[in-house]
Amino acid sequence: MSELAAPRRRVRRLFGARQLGLIIRIVAGAAIAVFALSTPGFLTPLSVNALLTAISFVGCVAVGMTFITLTGNIMSLALGATVSASALIFLASLSLGVAPAFLIAALFGTVITAAQGFLVGYFRANPILVSIAALSLLLGAAAFATGGHRIYPGGAGIEFFKGRMGAVPVNAMFFFATVIVGQFVISWTRMGRLMTMVGSNARAAIAAGIDITATVTVAYAMAGACAAIGGVLLAARYGSGDMELGAGYDYSAIAAVLVGGTGISGGSGSAWRTLIGVIVIAVIEVVLLLRGFSEQLQYLITGLIVLSVIMLHTLGERRQG
Amino acid sequence: MKQSALLLLAPAVRPFTIMIGTIVALGLIDRGSGYFFSVGTIFSVMQLFATLGLVALGLGLSMLVREFDLSVAGMMSLGGCIAVLTGGTSPWLGACLGVGAGVISGLLQGLIMTRLGLSSVGVTLGGLLTLQGLTYVLTGNQTISYPNMAVALGLNAPIAHLLSVRSAAALAVFAVATLVMTFTHVGRDIIATGSDRRASRIAGLNTDRIMIGVFAASGAASALAGVLLSYSLGAASPAGLSDVLAPAAAAAIVGGVSVVGGRGNAPGIAAGVLTLCILRSGLSAIGVPPFVHDLVTGGILLVIAVLDAPDLARHITAWRFARAERRAHTYSRESRDAAAT
Repeated sequence: MSELAAPRRRVRRLFGARQLGLIIRIVAGAAIAVFALSTPGFLTPLSVNALLTAISFVGCVAVGMTFITLTGNIMSLALGATVSASALIFLASLSLGVAPAFLIAALFGTVITAAQGFLVGYFRANPILVSIAALSLLLGAAAFATGGHRIYPGGAGIEFFKGRMGAVPVNAMFFFATVIVGQFVISWTRMGRLMTMVGSNARAAIAAGIDITATVTVAYAMAGACAAIGGVLLAARYGSGDMELGAGYDYSAIAAVLVGGTGISGGSGSAWRTLIGVIVIAVIEVVLLLRGFSEQLQYLITGLIVLSVIMLHTLGERRQG
Repeated sequence: MKQSALLLLAPAVRPFTIMIGTIVALGLIDRGSGYFFSVGTIFSVMQLFATLGLVALGLGLSMLVREFDLSVAGMMSLGGCIAVLTGGTSPWLGACLGVGAGVISGLLQGLIMTRLGLSSVGVTLGGLLTLQGLTYVLTGNQTISYPNMAVALGLNAPIAHLLSVRSAAALAVFAVATLVMTFTHVGRDIIATGSDRRASRIAGLNTDRIMIGVFAASGAASALAGVLLSYSLGAASPAGLSDVLAPAAAAAIVGGVSVVGGRGNAPGIAAGVLTLCILRSGLSAIGVPPFVHDLVTGGILLVIAVLDAPDLARHITAWRFARAERRAHTYSRESRDAAAT
């Protein structure tokens, strides 16, 4: 354990780490809410709609990333490429109809990510290394299959994803459904409890006779399915795609996961937290935009806020090792 | 025979085995048509090495202490942009400021990690986003051209047809890193910190200081890569350098740096970087479409991932045991059948 700074120790004695963390979270949340609501134009339908659409794409990937982080496998650098590849497959197979194309894309994302999960679970291969290998293979295979050209929809029907159900954009419906299903799996199914256990202490999980291979493979399969849904939404939004479509989504996703408060060391985390992380980042970006900050300042401030939120979250936690 | 084959796969030797294997394989595919074994190919390999190598060295150093510096791409852009913005009249001043920015950012990240007890992935992810934002602000979200074209030409000027000043500089940094890691206690301290941080601390090693130093060095190396690249391109842009993390991590891992810490060295990282650069330049030199490079790199990484996985040996033993048991079972059944007839 590294030595703690003296003032922090004193503050800690007053409140205790847990309460301190809670207080900081409430204050920060209130600050963001006040900041957002006092911004002129934030509550207009146009801005709320833009916000909901924007969080849907990265949100799906972030919920997927939550499963990987939860099982103690840090993050995947291949989810962005999975988003792109699923989007391309969705667009190319649209000639079969929207629903079959959606299923094919989701199946593709699930299978290739589950394969990575199998390597990680069965051999305990390093997750970051496996994800970089998968990233390379996906990029190469996509360049081979597409010849480097953009892919355009092979059939009609993507208008459905651009529409709205009542007041809510269809994109956001898919995202909220992903969050609900994700949260259901994590907290209400046996598999979800096993994922949490494997993430918090893999050795104890082995000793308890838990099938780590199956647990990690399922977690990765969920991650791939979520990323593929994000890919389908993105493909429908832009109407065409290449492998650049989902580039960088892995970083945005892990940022949202960490800002939501899921621990990087695994064993704790939920889709709700990730939802909160996604919303916090998106609200900050929209508010900065509406208040007329230049694009470059938006990047800087968002980066600083992500950094400080990550620092605050772990304030009460102890360093392991 | 078997022992010498095992020696080639020993962790310290394996990066060089892979590198030579790559050269031989490409040479065989080329079949003496002279596209692969040419001075031009070596020059372009070394140009790639100059950019990727230093980033891989920085990232590899952080992996040696069992951390992962995601911010290398941000350091690279920031270093390049600062150098181009400030080095108009004096390129040395720009280079110093660029590398200095990398050192300071690395120091800050190291301090945050050790003082607050945070993991490197979270802090360097925040660092990456912040550094990229800073680069966007400094450049005003535009590509900035560097007026001093003499520097660009000078950096790319060939030395003995094989190296440029830029790639020679990268090689020099690797040489210094090798000397420091081999002949001073710093190298041993880094390996010790990566192998078992708690034991090292109990043994009296100031592991916090090692960590901060490693992240400062990682920032310096990545920023220097950005400075050299931006100078030689004559331009710096806040975007477009972010694809460097995955190749750099791949190079460090092919170069024998263990992802669980405590294993790896600078010459190995150099061999790993060279392998990837040889694959990229060599494959394009012999006329293979570029996607093959991605597929081959991905394949190599996947094989290394499985070979280095802690449970591989356990599974192999289990498979062997199961096969031997099955064989024994069949044998006993056969002998029983023979006895019955």
